[in-house]
Amino acid sequence: MFSDEASDSVTVESVWRKKHESHRDTRGCQTPAVSRCEAEIQSVSTSSSSSQTEPEQLRQPPPEAPEHPEPPGLGAFLQRVEELVVGELLRNSRSHAFDGFQVNWAEHRQLVSRLHLLQHPVAQETGLHVTCVSWSCTGSVVVCGYGRMDDGGWSTESSYVCSWNLDRRGLNPRQADLVIDVPTGVTALCCHPDRPALLAGGLYSGEVVVWDTSRTQDPVVALTGTSAESHREPVYQVSWVSLQKRGDFGVLSAGSGGRVLLWTLDSDQGRFVLDAAFAFVRQQVPHRVKTRGSSTVGVTSLALSPWDSDTFLVGSEGGLLLRCSFSSTTPAAVSSEGQSVTPRAPAVFSFRPCSGPVHSIHCSPFHRNLFVSAGTDGLAHVHSLLQVNPLLSLRVSDSYVFQVQWSPTRPLVFAAATGQGKVQIFDLGRRSLRPAATIEQGGAGHAATSLAFNAQNPHLMAVGNTDGTVGVWQLSADLSEQSPRESSQLEQIANQVAE
Amino acid sequence: MADVEDILKRIEAHKGVIGTVVVNGGGIPIRTTLDNSTTVQYAGLFRQLTTMARSTVRDIDPQNDLTFLRIRTKKHEIMVALENDFLLIVIQKPCE
Repeated sequence: MFSDEASDSVTVESVWRKKHESHRDTRGCQTPAVSRCEAEIQSVSTSSSSSQTEPEQLRQPPPEAPEHPEPPGLGAFLQRVEELVVGELLRNSRSHAFDGFQVNWAEHRQLVSRLHLLQHPVAQETGLHVTCVSWSCTGSVVVCGYGRMDDGGWSTESSYVCSWNLDRRGLNPRQADLVIDVPTGVTALCCHPDRPALLAGGLYSGEVVVWDTSRTQDPVVALTGTSAESHREPVYQVSWVSLQKRGDFGVLSAGSGGRVLLWTLDSDQGRFVLDAAFAFVRQQVPHRVKTRGSSTVGVTSLALSPWDSDTFLVGSEGGLLLRCSFSSTTPAAVSSEGQSVTPRAPAVFSFRPCSGPVHSIHCSPFHRNLFVSAGTDGLAHVHSLLQVNPLLSLRVSDSYVFQVQWSPTRPLVFAAATGQGKVQIFDLGRRSLRPAATIEQGGAGHAATSLAFNAQNPHLMAVGNTDGTVGVWQLSADLSEQSPRESSQLEQIANQVAE
Repeated sequence: MADVEDILKRIEAHKGVIGTVVVNGGGIPIRTTLDNSTTVQYAGLFRQLTTMARSTVRDIDPQNDLTFLRIRTKKHEIMVALENDFLLIVIQKPCE
């Protein structure tokens, strides 16, 4: 059954080892033979030469001649001339002949010249007036708002906000770069001090709007509705205020309903949040002057002080001029139902009132106590914050003065826009009371309603007119460059005591 | 002569004087208180200017002659006294 069997062994070759062995091959190469050749050269003729410097003879005698070899006649000459020269030296050191005399060889141009006349034909056809102009923070874009200066009642006509970029090639003065449609007339405009695309505006209906001009779809970023908290009367001034605590900016708006409101922007929700409210009531104004009229004090102009972040100045319809403080805590004597923020009475000090509405106030950027104000009485008053009476009153025109502004580069210069269509530029350093320069933009019968100096390019100024045009004017160096003693002259003016 | 030095020192000691240069008939500066290059510049330029000013005055009136020239610049006042080919240039800073 079972038997022994022997079988051959089986060898299985390793496949794995073969796979891992590298492939080997043998090759050889050799460079071709290098070719060589030899050549020789030899110069045929030679020559040699050399050079050397020679010591220089000193030909010119030095200017400081030695004492002894003196030209004849020198002593006599000097003796003759000495008295004359000494007399002139003394007289010169005492002379005041050239005091304040300055020559400018660079420019001989006239004081003001017009660069552009910007128009928006659609607004001009409907007879809209330019009510406010403002320069952007970069200094190259001018923005203007249209509306009506002479409206008594409510108007429902729509108007525009237009902007032109002056540094663009192909600037077409008859076509604005950007036109924003606004449902009612625009009464105030202010460009953001840091972000060139933001623009705050106040409307005739009492609304405050912020537009973002970089958005193409809908430029409105935030809009206060007509609620119990906001203004019900035209907003005559808006300004961007820096809010120290949060580091961004808020909008301060002043309306003729007697309120000054501080809004912060809530751009996610597209609305304003009321941060602080100030209400002016006749009884709470210090140093009350007996004037007739309603108890609310309609605010027509507002100015922020660049030196003191707590102070702001307010001018009213009745001619009152008040200094106010943001940090005042006195509650205002108005009913505060339906309001989220209790209104406060901020007025601290009252200056001598004018005889008509105060259209414009501006604080001097060069002196902490000075400001200029102007209204319908045709006078521009230079006030000190410390005194009740104005330091200087200059007659600007025979009709209304709509706006005054200090020059951003020359401490003694300010410009005023008048109802006769002229902008008068005054230089307090000159002894005469007549204006240093006059800008006439529109024809007769049109008023210059607003003006703005350009802080970035100080020789430019924009003027808005009731014929619907915005003129960009160039000021010569006389009006835009500071001369040496202006600051001390301004200091002298500020330290005067008014009679 | 010591006189020359005395006179020049008195002139230089005046209020506001920045420098003085004395130039002879050949246009070569013989006394100066300024540095070399400035002195040479003043000497050459003022020699030309005084020649032109003198001929202007004498053209207008042959009996008249130039005695003194003052140039007021933004920075200082330059006074040139001239006689018989000598020039005395004094530069003064007006005190305000």
